Amino acid sequence: MFSTILFYILSVILVFSSLMVIFSRKPINSVLFLIVSFFAISGHYILLNAQFLAVVNIIVYAGAIMVLFLFTVMLLNLNKETEPKKSALVKIIAVITGCLLAVTLVGSLKGIDNAPVQDFSDNSIGLIKNLGKTLFTDFLVPFELTSVLFLASIVGTLMIGKKE
Amino acid sequence: MEVIIIIALTGIAIMMAGALNKPGFSLWIAIAGLMLAFILNFRLWNTNLHLFNDMIVYDNFAVVFNALIIVSSALVFLLFHSHYSPWEKHLDEIAALLIFACTSMMLMTSYGNLVVLFIGIETMSICLYVLAGSRKYELPSNEAALKYFLLGSFATGVMLFGIALIYGASGSFDFHGITSYLTSTGNQTSSMFSIGLLLLTVGLLFKIAAVPFHFWAPDVYEGSPTVITTFMGSTVKIAGVAALYRLYAYHFAAIKPIWATTIMIVSALSFFAAVLMALPQKRFKRLLAYSGISHAGFLLMAVLAMNQYAASALLLYAASYSLATIAAFTVLVEVIEVRWDDELSVFKGMGAKNKFLAFALIVAMLSMAGIPPFSGFMAKFMMFSAVAESGYIVLVVFGVIASAISLVYYLKPITLILSKDESNSTNIKLSWEVIIVLVVTLTLTLIFGIFPGLLTGLL
Repeated sequence: MFSTILFYILSVILVFSSLMVIFSRKPINSVLFLIVSFFAISGHYILLNAQFLAVVNIIVYAGAIMVLFLFTVMLLNLNKETEPKKSALVKIIAVITGCLLAVTLVGSLKGIDNAPVQDFSDNSIGLIKNLGKTLFTDFLVPFELTSVLFLASIVGTLMIGKKE
Repeated sequence: MEVIIIIALTGIAIMMAGALNKPGFSLWIAIAGLMLAFILNFRLWNTNLHLFNDMIVYDNFAVVFNALIIVSSALVFLLFHSHYSPWEKHLDEIAALLIFACTSMMLMTSYGNLVVLFIGIETMSICLYVLAGSRKYELPSNEAALKYFLLGSFATGVMLFGIALIYGASGSFDFHGITSYLTSTGNQTSSMFSIGLLLLTVGLLFKIAAVPFHFWAPDVYEGSPTVITTFMGSTVKIAGVAALYRLYAYHFAAIKPIWATTIMIVSALSFFAAVLMALPQKRFKRLLAYSGISHAGFLLMAVLAMNQYAASALLLYAASYSLATIAAFTVLVEVIEVRWDDELSVFKGMGAKNKFLAFALIVAMLSMAGIPPFSGFMAKFMMFSAVAESGYIVLVVFGVIASAISLVYYLKPITLILSKDESNSTNIKLSWEVIIVLVVTLTLTLIFGIFPGLLTGLL
């Protein structure tokens, strides 16, 4: 009962803050609302008994990446006046295509009822011990291949960012 | 797996070799690594390995496409070595990134799990974003990198959303799990699965620049350094199409009615719209970008055909397209080196003083247009007959019309080359690497045109 109430509270916060990310006029407010939504997502992870994901989500996204966003917003000095104006035609097209995608996505929710529901009675599935086991047995190859991805990103960052 | 490890190690070795401060050394490491990988790759022929819980599936399809990607990358490497002057900064980093992109393409041809597919595509994209902006003091290069990065990461997000929805509907990333989900529902997918599949397709179609996800291609091709454009035009497109083909023809064949119409429309739109958009182009790089978009449409036909000829037609088409693209871009690189421009008019009167370059460009253009005896003709012929076999006659008719229109812009550079006006023609001295690249691509184009069975017999 308690967790159901918590779920609804977190969901309301999440939906509201996500909408505010899109609708707020100032980029800095968007970033701050994004942090709120990340915390709400972490709350959901804890409700699903995935503590590790919850902590990582806060450390990596709300911590590191959001700081980066804030710095970018501040350094680029993004404000309303410098925002490029879009023509009315582009706006109308964007609204129509966006609504079409939204309708399709909402329509796809219809099918969830007859989709098989996974049984999450095993509550230990999100614990770090089980996560590590899965990562180093079933998903070993993708895990190791990610190192190539990171290496490429490091090389790229150094190449672009190095001062000469 | 050895192939992937060897190529990844080659990339690391090149990075380390940067410390030696010997420009040009990286070429030999790269060539050696790629050759070793090429040999090891063919040792896996007919073994049909399923590695690590089917994360990586090394069947013959993966082997031949890996071989094609390795050869194309080696050719791009030779071009890279010849074109980049030794005093340019970050040569080893660029070389390492090219090799890392090559590694990730091996994953895209041989994945058996959606996670591996995603990692492959993401690694390749990140390498390409950086490579597109590798001339960091040139404005067009910066613009290309930023444009590609913003649009590309958005496409990646869409694709990831699609994968998440497929996981949500089927409860598995693994294609065995997804297939058993599909059989359990009697191939009646829930709408969540369908839209997941649609979003995944959108992400993949973006990577091969098919219409209507092609808007980035001309700008990015134009702004990137020409050698990188060669890489994007040839190898990247092959890997993307191979990934699409594996996804649909191998794993989602049972639910063809769901995706066939989408792929058919995208394919027809790609070759038809791109051909029409290529007609007014004045710059050769943009022209080749639009030509690449139209070829993406033709390559997608193989996904639709899905019969015993489809895979071999795809292989022949991918090989001939890649060889012709590399040859055309090699000529362009040499011309840009001297003239600093890629307007079509730079080719005017080139035939008089640079016979070999002119010949190479003519062969490349004719092969792309699909004129016999070059491999482009056989490739188009086999592709059309494979698709017609599956009953898509209307698509074939449109394809033939589009190829006929495409002749107009493929013949434009040829007429300019053969024109008598020699006023602005300069003698271009070719380096040995460029001569090797051109000789290899032209010979293979001719051989595959006359003996297409060499490739099509493989699959």
